[in-house]
Order: sequence, then structure tokens, then C-alpha cells
Amino acid sequence: MEKGYVIRPGENGFERAMEILGMVYKFPEDISDEDVEGAANFVFPALRNTVLGLLELPANRGLEIFFFKKLLEYFWEAQRAHEEGKKIIFIPFTFPPELFFAFDSLVPLCTEVFSGLIVNICYGQGERFWDYAVSLGLPDSMCSGNTIGIASLLYGPGLKPDAIVYNTPGSCNPNAKIHAFAADYLGIPQFALEKPVDESPRGREQYYKYLLRFVRELEEWAGEELKEERLREVMERSYRAVDLYNEYWELKKARPCPVPNIFSMTLLVLRSQLWGREEAIEVLQRMVDISRERMRKGEYAAPEELARIYVSYIYWLFDFYGYFTWMEKRGISILGDILAIHYFPPIDYSSKESMLRAYADIAFDYPMTRQMGGESISLRWLEDVCYAAKDLGADACVFGGVHACKHTLGTISFFRREMMKRLGLPTLVLIGDVFDKRQTPMEIFQKEVDTFIDQVVSRKKRARRRS
Amino acid sequence: MAVIGTHLELKEIYDPYVREWKEKGGQVVGYSCLTTPVELIEAAGLLPYRIKALGNPWTELADGEMSLFNCSFCRSCLQLALEGTYDFLDGIIETNGCDHLRAMFENWQHNRNLPFFHYLKVPHFFRDDSLEYYLGELELLREHLASHFSAEADNDSLRRAIDDWNLVREKWRELCSLRELSEPKVTGGEALALELAGSHMTGRDFAQLLGNFIEERKGEPGKKPKARLMFCGPATDEVAWMEEIESLGAVIVADTLCFGSRAFMHKPGQGSEPLEELARGYLDSIFCPRMYQEYAKRRDYILGTAQRAQVDGVIYLFNKFCDLHGTESVLVRRDLEGAKIPVLVLEKEYSSADLGRVKTRVQAFLERIGGGA
Repeated sequence: MEKGYVIRPGENGFERAMEILGMVYKFPEDISDEDVEGAANFVFPALRNTVLGLLELPANRGLEIFFFKKLLEYFWEAQRAHEEGKKIIFIPFTFPPELFFAFDSLVPLCTEVFSGLIVNICYGQGERFWDYAVSLGLPDSMCSGNTIGIASLLYGPGLKPDAIVYNTPGSCNPNAKIHAFAADYLGIPQFALEKPVDESPRGREQYYKYLLRFVRELEEWAGEELKEERLREVMERSYRAVDLYNEYWELKKARPCPVPNIFSMTLLVLRSQLWGREEAIEVLQRMVDISRERMRKGEYAAPEELARIYVSYIYWLFDFYGYFTWMEKRGISILGDILAIHYFPPIDYSSKESMLRAYADIAFDYPMTRQMGGESISLRWLEDVCYAAKDLGADACVFGGVHACKHTLGTISFFRREMMKRLGLPTLVLIGDVFDKRQTPMEIFQKEVDTFIDQVVSRKKRARRRS
Repeated sequence: MAVIGTHLELKEIYDPYVREWKEKGGQVVGYSCLTTPVELIEAAGLLPYRIKALGNPWTELADGEMSLFNCSFCRSCLQLALEGTYDFLDGIIETNGCDHLRAMFENWQHNRNLPFFHYLKVPHFFRDDSLEYYLGELELLREHLASHFSAEADNDSLRRAIDDWNLVREKWRELCSLRELSEPKVTGGEALALELAGSHMTGRDFAQLLGNFIEERKGEPGKKPKARLMFCGPATDEVAWMEEIESLGAVIVADTLCFGSRAFMHKPGQGSEPLEELARGYLDSIFCPRMYQEYAKRRDYILGTAQRAQVDGVIYLFNKFCDLHGTESVLVRRDLEGAKIPVLVLEKEYSSADLGRVKTRVQAFLERIGGGA
């Protein structure tokens, strides 16, 4: 498949990212400012902002190095999977990964994390894969979040999944369709879990039935039964992380917000790829410790916390420095996005069935599945963001729309009106892309946010102070 | 209710047939997706009305609610709702056909607040467990229709409606055979016009309309086209647009369009009760890329139809931002071209906004397949 350039074995997106991350593995956690600058100058210019976004602010530097080392160790496991007789499955970011960790023979890789690695670590930021996807005929309105990763699989040599698994029928057309497409295109098995757009007890019960069937199909294909003891181990680890997540949420409420903005990305990757494993607990524990310590010391990256924003949809993730660090240095705290709102029911570890029941509830109410797979997209989305924005004390919302997400784009006007009516919170509406800077460059995002904060949020605050 | 005969000039959303129904005290329920069993609505004494836009190019009110990244057909329909054109509807039934459609229905209801609004949740897979759920959904719809409109769709009336609509499907197949002749007697534009006219009729009237049309055409000579095309894709209710394409010398001899043959693929289902029969028949016949694991079934159907109708080429069309059809078009093109059937994938805007560009592309395609003017 030559499209103007050739990718040789070992040089596909994932493999390149692994090589570069291999260098990060050698970094000490207490890396100096000079070394950060050196590293930023060492990489391709477009990737400078990845290095600076993760490492410039001392508060998150050690954590991000530790986190990437843990992530890399997991990816090394994935690279060895076939040699060890295990099967690699691709899962979307909406599928709680803990279930798959309970299978000894399965190694789940999150498609969107896979894309994110390519975009933020490799030269060209994954644009070659996006362009390749479009050259195949895929619509340019698909989601780069998963299409970049999928296209690298279709394109060339390197890591190949044994099956594709998705749970987005019911909540997201582009996500479900690209996963189904990839399986059809590659000629590998696909397993799907549907979310009924039905929040009644009947809908939940149906979802549980679908889940049991899904597990049976997976067991049959993997040649391995889901064992109660393994599931218990994983779910117990998962809930240890839940305790930390709850603490993390509480810390976000403090003023100024002591949680570094970049931790929002870290949490997203942990939840999508490592939840249910020890690494997620270790990283989250450090995130909480750092944030708690910052709160105690009153540390904040800017002289003043100008605004506390809730990202009403999802972050743009192609420029860590231009997004997370830029806002933090300007005194804009990111409190979360739709993907940060998790619901964890009480869990009963006594049987496989009771644990699967809890897992079904977690997956049913999983970010995006819950809102976009809700009975009403607009109302469920609005209510959840209202809850989070109010609980965390947001001053405003920023809707960083993604052109693929037709459900939110189709209801954003209602959302913005109602957010103002219910909480008096203004929403800045921007449309761009999660992983492709060519849609809306970060400089435009920054200008829009600057103006919005200055003209709407800060002015409102000043007026409130005067009165 | 008088049958319209063979008059196919449907120009109004609130057309004379519906107007007459309303003037006689009848009530009308709108729906959009083919996963909605019209038999159930009709059996409750209501007129099912398939929501359409008839090429309406205006979307300024809808654009205030939905983004420009949403399907222009859905925005066009929403526009008509927001400006009051659809105020004759006594209720609507939402289905989870696709994300655009869901957003359209939500905005419709937030803004117009119709007294009857029902969400029929349709599974994305045809399996025993999803069938059971869908059957339950149809029960809920039946109950809601009965409680709101005081009109119960009992088994007898449901049986009659099922029989009427099965006759419609039989007639449609007959119509298709006239399209597939070496000298087709029916054009694609005419077939679409018939489908549009029937998409707000009772089954009995629609069957009669089709019957009359078929009888009239059977005796007439056909015309050998320069090229025989098959159209595949989603909801396209633009008759004038299709006629423009056919004016280039080709005839659309087969299709799997959502406003088209896809609406009649329903297979009579087995079941001990009429509702069960309906559930099985509908869920097993959803020919839409939203049925994620059924690509092979759709591919085989398209291939079989294309070969039977001896088409020279297939045009796979979809409105911009339709990710479901857009993604599937890659596989369809690969597999059809593998079977030596030329394919043109045509991404378009709803309405005639980009007709000039589209015609140029179709002309080029016709030249490629040897049917150029």
C-alpha cells in the first residue's frame, strides 16, 4: 500500500511511538528545567508542545514521566502478546477496560489512546494516517480520535489486532461504524455490545443481558472462561482506583484549583487503558498526593485563578502545551470534561454475577455512553454537565466541539441556552477536532478563549465584585 | 379515501391526501425511519406520515439549532417543522436511526412540543435477545398510541394492516420488475415519486395506486437507456434531482435507497401473534449501515440485485456528513469493483445546491462505463 511513501516494518505509528517513548523511559523523574528544554529542542518542532505540555510545569513533571513509563510498560506487554500466545483486541475509549483485564489471554488496546500516541509522539502528528483514511474513501467528517489509529492498522506493517470490540452502537455512529468497518476491512472478528437508548429498568436489564451474551461470545473466541476470582481481583483494583478518583474530584473543588490541567488528560488515558491494573492506582495516587500538597501550599501556576471552566464536551488533544499548560499559565483551571464524569455503583464482590451487574452499570453510565446513548442526548448531557459544573464551581463552559460528533453538534444550541437558564453559565462554542490541528489550529482556540474569558467571564466577575 | 390514481406530482408536504384525511377528522402521526412499523400506526386508525422535505433548500431556522456538520436532509426537515409546515401532525415517533436524526427529533420536540411524542428504540442487531426487546418496544408503542389517541390497534386491525402493507410490497416488487426490463417501463424518478406519494397513505390506497400505475405501464413500450444504473444510499426524496440525473441518458433500474426499494424489503415474519410477526419482519429487514454487523448481508443483496438488473454501474450516494453510509461506501466500492461492477461514490448536499457539480461527475461516470451522451 504505497501512497507516496513507504512504511517499513517497525516504522508504523505505534512502533515509532514505542521507540521514542523508550527514550522517555530513561528520564529520571526529577528531570531539571535545562533537561526539559533540551528534550523540547531535541524532538521535531511540532512535538515540542508535547514535551513542554507534560514537563514544563514542575508540579506535574515527575508524575507525567512516571505515568508514561507505566503506559510504556503496558504497551511492551502488548507488543509481546502474540509471542506469549495472547490475543490483542482493540476497544474504544468508551469501553471500561477492566473486564478485559480479567481475561488472562486478552490484551486490550484502546483505539483512541493508540491514536493519541501517534498524534502526540510521532513526526507528522498522525496526519499521514488521517490522509490515508480519507484516500481510501472514508468521509473526512469521521472522528480522528479513532480513525488515525485504525488507519495505521489498515495501512501497513506492525501491530495487528486479533479482533475488534466496540460498545458504541446506541451512543455514537462514527465510533461504532469505524470499528465495524476496520473488522470487515481486515477480515477479523468483531464483538459488539449495544447500549439501548433506554434508561428505564427494562433498558438496564436488557443491557445486562447483552453484556452476558457479549462475555459468552468473547469467552468462546478467546478459548478462556471469565473466572470469578480473576474478575474479583480486577474489580477490587478498579474500586481502589475509584476511591482515588473520588478524592481527585473533591480536590478539584478547591480555589485555586490545585489539580494541574494536564492531569485531565492523564486521568482520561488511565481510565481508558489501565483501569483495573495496579498502574492506574499508582499513578492516581501520585496525582492525588501532588494535588493535595499543592492545595496545602496554595500553589497555582498563575498569579490569580481567572476562571474555572468546564469543558462541556471533550478536550482537544493534539497540543498539550497549547491547550492545558497555556490555560493553566493564564489562570484558567480546567475542571473536567464529559469524559471525566464517572458513576461507580456500590459493588458486591460475592459472585461473578454480582460483579458483572456492577460492571454493566458502570458501562451503562460510562462517559459518552451515558449521555449520547441516553434517552435524550440533550437532556442527559445537559443534566450531567450541570451537575459537574455546579459541584466543582465552574464560571463558564467551553464546548470544544469535534466535527465528527454529530450528536452533540446537533443539540449544542439547546445545551447552551439551557446552561445559561439553569446555572447562568455562558458557553463558548468552538468547532474543531480532537486530534487534527488542521481543522482549527490551537492559536485560534487560544484567541477565542482569551476573548471569551476577558469579555464574558472576567467582566461578569468584576461586575459582581463591584456590586 | 379516494385514490390519487397515477398522478405523481407531489409538491406539498401537507398534500391533498393528508388534508382530506384531516378534514374528515383523522389524525396523523409522523415518523422518519423505516424501522417504524407503519402497520401499527395504521391499525390504530391513524395515518402514518413519513417525514420528508421534498427538496426544501432552506435551513436557516434549523441551522440555529443544529450545526452545519449535521446532515442537510435532517436540517431541512427540521426547518419545515420549526416554520410550522408540519403543524398538521398530531404526534411524532422518534427512532434512533442515526445521530443526526436523533438530534433532529430532539430539537423538534424541544421547540414544538407536540402532544404525542414517542421514542421507539430500535436495536442495532437482529438476534433473539434484541428481537425480544424490540417486540417489547412495539408493545409500548401500541399502548401509548391507544392511551393517547384512544385507538387500540387490536390483533384484527393489525392483521388487516399487515396484509395491506404486504400487498404494497408485492406490488413494489412487480414495479421493480418493470424497471429491470431490458427496455425499462418505469424510471427511477417515477419510482421515487410513487414511493413519496405512498409514504403518507394507508396501505390499501398505496397498493391501489401502485396497481393502477403498473397496469397503465405494462401496456406501454419501454425505452432502451444509454446506461443502466443502480442507486444505493440513504434518504433521498428529491424527485427533480433524480430526473436531472436520468436526463443524462441513464435509467435507474434498481436501487436500495431509503426513500425507494429499501422501504419495501420487509420480509413477512413468522410469529404466533401479529405483533411478533411484525417485530421479526422489521428487525430482520433493516437494510441500513446502522446494523453494524450485517455488512455482508447488504453487500450480497446489492451484488445480487445489480447482477439481476444487469446494471452498467452503481452510484452510491449520500449526503455530506452521513458517516454511516460514507464509511460503508468504501467497502461497497471495493467489493463491487472486485466483481467488475463500476461504482461512483457521490457525496452530495441535500437539495439541488450542488446539482451542477453532481451532474458533471455522473456524466464522467457514464462516459467511463460506456453510457455517455
